[in-house]
This record gives sequence, structure tokens and C-alpha cells, in this order.
Amino acid sequence: MQIEPILRALNGLQFVPPRRKPGATTGERRSPRRGRSVEFADYRDYTPGDDPRRVDWNIYARLERPYIKLYEDEEDLTVHVLLDASPSMQWREENQPLSPKWERASQLAVAMSYIALTSGDRLIVETSTRSRIGPKRGAAATSAVMEFIERETLPPEMADGRVPANRPGASASLNNWLKRYALDARPGLCIVISDFLDADGYAEGLNALGSSRLDVNVLHTLSPAELDPEFAGDLRLRDIETAATQDISLDDAALSQYRQRLNQWTGAIAEFCRRRGGKYHLTDTSELVEKVVLRDLRREGWIV
Amino acid sequence: MDRLVSVINPLALFFAALAIPIILLYLLRLQRREQTVSSTLLWRQVVLDREANTLWQRLRRNLLLLLQLLTLAFLVFALVRPYLNLPSTLSGRLIVLLDGSASMQATDVAPTRFEAAKAEIRKLIDELGPSSDMTIILVDGSPHALASATSSKSELTAALDTAHPSLESANWSAGVALATAAGGGGGSDNSATTVILSDGINADDLQLLTGNVRYIPIGVSGDNVAISTLSLRKTPRGLAAFVRVTNTGSTDDRVLVSLRSDSVLLDARTLSIPAGQSVSWIINGIDPQVSSVRASIDQAAHNDLPIDDVAYVVNEKNTQRRVLLLTRGNRFLEQALAVLPNLQVTRAITAPEPADAKPYDLYVLDGISATLPSHASVLFIGAQSVFTASGVFSSTTFMRSEQHPVLASVDWRSVNALDIARVNTPEWLRPIAQSSSGPMLFAGEMRSQGDPFWRVVLIPFELRESDLPLQVAFPVLIANSVAWLAPPQGLNIPSSVKPGDVVPIPADAIVLLPDGNRVAVGQRGFAQTNQLGVYSAQYGDVAGAFAVNFSIPAESKIAPNLDLKIGGATPSSEVKPQYSQREIWSWLAVAALILLVIEWWVYQRGVPMLRRK
Repeated sequence: MQIEPILRALNGLQFVPPRRKPGATTGERRSPRRGRSVEFADYRDYTPGDDPRRVDWNIYARLERPYIKLYEDEEDLTVHVLLDASPSMQWREENQPLSPKWERASQLAVAMSYIALTSGDRLIVETSTRSRIGPKRGAAATSAVMEFIERETLPPEMADGRVPANRPGASASLNNWLKRYALDARPGLCIVISDFLDADGYAEGLNALGSSRLDVNVLHTLSPAELDPEFAGDLRLRDIETAATQDISLDDAALSQYRQRLNQWTGAIAEFCRRRGGKYHLTDTSELVEKVVLRDLRREGWIV
Repeated sequence: MDRLVSVINPLALFFAALAIPIILLYLLRLQRREQTVSSTLLWRQVVLDREANTLWQRLRRNLLLLLQLLTLAFLVFALVRPYLNLPSTLSGRLIVLLDGSASMQATDVAPTRFEAAKAEIRKLIDELGPSSDMTIILVDGSPHALASATSSKSELTAALDTAHPSLESANWSAGVALATAAGGGGGSDNSATTVILSDGINADDLQLLTGNVRYIPIGVSGDNVAISTLSLRKTPRGLAAFVRVTNTGSTDDRVLVSLRSDSVLLDARTLSIPAGQSVSWIINGIDPQVSSVRASIDQAAHNDLPIDDVAYVVNEKNTQRRVLLLTRGNRFLEQALAVLPNLQVTRAITAPEPADAKPYDLYVLDGISATLPSHASVLFIGAQSVFTASGVFSSTTFMRSEQHPVLASVDWRSVNALDIARVNTPEWLRPIAQSSSGPMLFAGEMRSQGDPFWRVVLIPFELRESDLPLQVAFPVLIANSVAWLAPPQGLNIPSSVKPGDVVPIPADAIVLLPDGNRVAVGQRGFAQTNQLGVYSAQYGDVAGAFAVNFSIPAESKIAPNLDLKIGGATPSSEVKPQYSQREIWSWLAVAALILLVIEWWVYQRGVPMLRRK
């Protein structure tokens, strides 16, 4: 994985959580909870049951009304990197030794993990095969994460669509994986790296993540062959995951219809994320990782 | 024949069964190439989109199959060879006889009958079907084919443009022979149609033509006035011209006739000529020194043929040779001399007095002795007192003959005679034909002055006692002898000939044509007599002149013969509703080819497989 030279450029970057999520322990992040930190945030009326130690007695002496002094609460951020490792993510064309799509997706996962680790966040990486690493903290964990993702790469002989049915997660749908992950996920920032090519869709899974107070961000990875297919003629298309076949006679009209459908579909995912306050970025897997991270994601406000 | 479209080869419809393998192959071709994709999610939606489309789009998916089946259909239709029954006068072999006679120059049909006939032929050429061919024969004095059995319209049109009317009568029997040779006129395989474009004048020989004949009569009117005769006669008061004008039409007419000599107007007169009648007019007192006289019809109300409105006559100088024949009666000799041109033969029994002023050019002494003027040319026949004889012989076995102008083309080998005089001749009179017993013919030229003779031919036996007059050689011998003994003065040419005639002018003579051009005469005489007018010839220091006149009275009667009988029947000039079978398989084949190209284009465009890297 040719990612190490790029990682250095990612030093000093950190994620921007759009909403404050209460963390587990005190960390460097400002918590949305008004807490016990030294940084003043606001006043509010005292209500019975409030800790009387937090009443600002100076104000009370001046106004004769009890006010509670609120402080910024600093806490850590949990970053969840959810990497779809389904066979469709590892799909490659016949003449390609490696799946470019998986290559880029795993590089993006490493880059996201590195940003999280170097900015002191708590990192959990899970793939759709239900393997998980983390929580990790600190830049030293980077190599462990990289090894973990490397292990998730399908061996080349399996990456041509002949996915053994007994492989864990091979038949699990995106929704099921995300829903199951949402059950015990700590609130925080969630980055889903997937092609979303799942017959069951994506809505339930993403909704479940959002319900678990996760800030859902989507890195949608599609290969050029999916964005702009070039095969044509009378074909029998075989799904690499479900082995389902679809007969189609491809001509220019069919290809333009495909592109139209693709645009509708990606637009729907983007709209879905936007409505839930999440971010969406569609990346062509032929693009360079550093361009995606340092330019596109920064411009779109993922990281600062 | 009632249906517009029929087929020749309906069995070829079985080729339509080829559609079955095409459809089968199409279905087999749909064994699809397998392509693994990351997901069929989106593709399924595309297929759903497309299946929800209209019938037209479903058809478009099968556009290639449709195009292939359509191509096959066109090919099968081409194979069954359909043809259109097009109403047409033209099919198969067409032989066109174009009348090129003088009467076709009549202007009753604008611009002329000949041009109208050519326009009709151009129409026929336009109607000519692709599988038909046409032969155009111009029937004039010597009919010939302008174009032979060609279907090339440009070639036919170009050939037609070269046709010009002649000043002669049409030689219809030769034209019919040409047409028959070209395939018209009967026969078992009679697909040929003979089309005659003529005014039907002097066309009786067309009765020889049989088979499928169509007659397109040209011409509407018979009004014509012609100068039928023009001659000059010497009178004591100079020359007298005799002009006869004939109205060959059916309408009385008044015509203005003028007489000119070398472009000087001599006289003019208006003549009233009843229909079908002739009027004569004699003009006296013409200068005897004029070289030629021209008579022309300058004004006439009903005159459609211009070429017979003018006549020329040459004022003949005295080129006649005078011959004195002294004989007691010899029919063979008289006849042989009478047919020779420019010869004025005077027959007598005794010689004229020497005081007679003018000597004759030639004296023929047939067994009669006479006193002759000096330097006379003489043809002696039989024993003569001029030469002494030393006996007779009768054995005429031929031995040899000299090369001599008198013996040119004369076969002397079988000449037999009784009692041939063994003549003692002077040295200059040499024998030119020898028998085993002695000479049978002498000829010689006197070279010394003072002798009574200039040239002499001696036949030393009586013609009555010989078989010579009965032989072909005799008139030739007499003609040769006369020509050698009394060479003609001037060019010895006829004074008036018809267009197309050959005038016997010696080779290398120069002839001045009426249009001012000069032509050198070839070896076979002067044949370019296709202009009307006066021709003058110059041969060394000898000059001569002759006139070419259109003098064919039958061609001047230009009333068209609309009911021409051909092969005993009157062919209808109406266009019978005939049908030509025009095959259209070539168009179907072209359509199939176009479809094939379209199919290829659709394949290239709709299946962008070649764009693949």
C-alpha cells in the first residue's frame, strides 16, 4: 500500500465534527456538554437539583438570583472508519492484477485513520467482514491499522468474482452490517467507505448509524468502469456478489441510460446524507489519494 | 399483359426461406458474452427502463434483423425478376429507315421534312428501353447504316446528327436489303420492328419489306413548283434559252421566274401555272459568249421544295468531233459510232468535194476509197486502194498483240475473218495484232510533213466476212480507235449531270465548285457533285464546265404518300398500345445493396465495440 509518503502530509489535520458528541473520557475535544472545564461558556437559570457547587455566587450576590455557570467541556472524539470489503469493492477487470477500487478505498481508510490517530482521536476501524481494530489512540497505531486493512484484501485468485460463499460477510448486506455496528457504537464521527452497490440499499444502515448519535459521513468509491462503462454488445452481466445474471444489449442509448441512472443514484445518496447532516463525497478510484484528502475533503469541510 | 407488374421467375420465391436461417442465426448470435460486473444493481434498472419502452424501441433493438430480412426480401424480389408492363412502342430490336431523298428537303414541315423525321427518331431514342437496340439506316441514293444495333443513346444521337438529306432519289430496295440484313423484315425470330420515316415518295420498293413495320409519314403538303427544263440552243440571233416550269402541286400558282447569266439578270417573267401543268418560256437573243445561264423561281405562293427552284445550263463550246463515215451500210459500225459521246457522225457513200471548207476530224472508210484532205485521221476497214495487197490469207490463229491504246481492253484472240489482205504498209504503219499467217490490225502515226495522213488504223478485212462485230471487243476497239484517231478537244465531259453522278474528268484536274472551293480530281473521276450549280474544270491548258441540276421529276412531286403499302398491307401509322417489359431487378439489387450499407452503418454505430481499448 503506497500510502506512507502521503501520510506525512496529513500531519496536523483533524476532523471537523459538525455536532458535538459527548465522549467517554476527557480529551482534547470540546464537548457539547457544559462541564467542568476551566473555559467559561454561558450562564443559565438554576433549577432545583442542580449541583449547588456550580452556582456562580458572585452573580447571586449582585443580582440575588441563582445562576449556574456553564463551562466548556473538553472530551475526546471517537472516529469510526467503516470500510466496505465486499467482493464488489474488490472487483477488478480481467486484465488488472489488483482491484483499483479496493486499492483506493483502503488507502482512503488508512488516511482517515491516520488523521484520527494523529489528532488524538479514538479510532475504531471495522470492515464489512466484521473484523475490527481499535479503539486505538496515537500515531503509533498507524502501522497496526495498515496491517489490519492489508489482511482484509482478498487474495488475487478470489478477487475475480469467485468469492467463496463461506467467507464471512460475503453474503451480509451493507444494511445488516451497519445496523449491527450501530448497536454498540460509541457516538462520534463515522466515515463509511463503500460503493453502496447493494441490492438491499443503504438507507436503513445509515439511519441506524445516525440514530446511534454517530455523525455519518460517506466516501463513495466507484471505479471508472462503473462510472463510465465501456463494454458493449449483447452481454450477460454477472453480479460478482450474488452471481445473479442480467442479459442486456448494450448500445449507446443503453449506456446513456446507465449514466443517467448512476447520476440519479449517487445524487440520492448525497441527498440522503445531506438531510441527516452528514457529508458525502463521490470519488473516482482513479483519483490520487492525496488529491482526494488534501484538496477535495478539505474544501468540503471534512478536515481542517 | 394487363397487370402492371409481373414476374419471370416465380420459383425464386423459395429463396425467401433463407429468412429462417437468418432468424436462427440471429437467435444464436444472442448467446451473450459474459461480463462480470461489480453489481447488476444499476443495470437491472436500465433493463427495466428499456423494457418499459415502446414497441418502436423494442423494434429498434431488432433493427439489424429487420434490415437483414429486408435486404433478403429485396434480393429475392430481384431474383424472381419482376418486370413492369410499360406502355411503349419500343422493345427489342428497332430498325429505323430514315428517308434521305431530295423530297425530304421540303419545307412544308418546319424546318424541313428531314429535320422533322430526325426529331421523330430522337423521340424514339428517348423511349428506347435498356434492353432494346436500334439501327438507323439513312436511305438515300446509296443507303448506309448510321448506327448499327446499339442501345447507347448518345451514340445513336451522335450518329443521327451526322445525317443529311441528299439530292437523289432514295434507293429503297437497297435500304430494304440493309434493313433485312440488320434483322428486320420477317424471320422466325421476329422481334425486330422496322420503323420507316418517309414521305413515301417513290417508295414502291418498300413492298419488299415484311414483318413488323411501322410507318411514320412525314410531310403534309404537295405544293411545289419546279424548273423542269432549262436548255440553250444556238440560233442565228445568238443563243435561245428554253425554260419549262412545272407546277407539281394541286394548287394553281403564279410564279416569278428569272434568268441570269453570270449573275447578270437577263429577263424575268411572272408565269401562271395551273395545278399539274407546265408552262414554257423561250428567251431569245442571249449573248453567245455567256459561259452559263441560271434560271430560278424567285417568288411562288405554293412552293415547298426549294432545291428544284433553280436550274443551270452551260453554254457548250464546240467540243464535238465530226466524223465522216463512208460506207455502203454497216449496221454494226454505225451503232458502235452512234453511242460514242461528243461525236457528230455524217454518213455518206462518196467522199465530199475537197472544196468543202471544213475537214472532218475523222474519216471512217468502210471499204470505200476516197480522196481526203491532208493530215486526216483515217480508220480503214477492208481492202483499200491506198495500200497494195499481195494476196489474202484466212488462217487467223492468234499469235500476239502489241501494247497499243487501240487494243486496250480488246481481246483479239478469238477474232476470225475470211480473206484477210496481206497489205504492204509503209514503215510507220505497224501491225499491232498478229496471226500465224500475218498481221490482222495496223496502227500508226505519220510523223513527216506533207503526208496526207496524221494517224491511221487499218483493219485489213471486211467486217461482214468476220466475227469481229459480234464480239464484245468490237465496240471497245471502235471506241479506242476513235479516241486515238481523233482525240477529243477540251475535257470531253457531259454538260449537265445529276447530283451524285461521277463526271469523267482526268485525274489531277482542278475543279472549281459552285461554292468557290477548289478540289483536285482523284483517279476515278470527279464525284463531289452534291452541290447544285456550275462547276468548271481545268486540266493543264484545257478547260471545261458542267452544270449539276436537280432534275428528278418524281422527287419534285412532293405530295406525301400517307397510305404507303408495305408488304401488301397498309401499316398503321397509329401507335398501337404495345407494352415493353422493363425488368426492375437491377433497382431491387441496388436497393438491397443500400440496405446492406445501412445495416453495416447501424451495426457500427449501435454496437460501439470498436471503441474499446
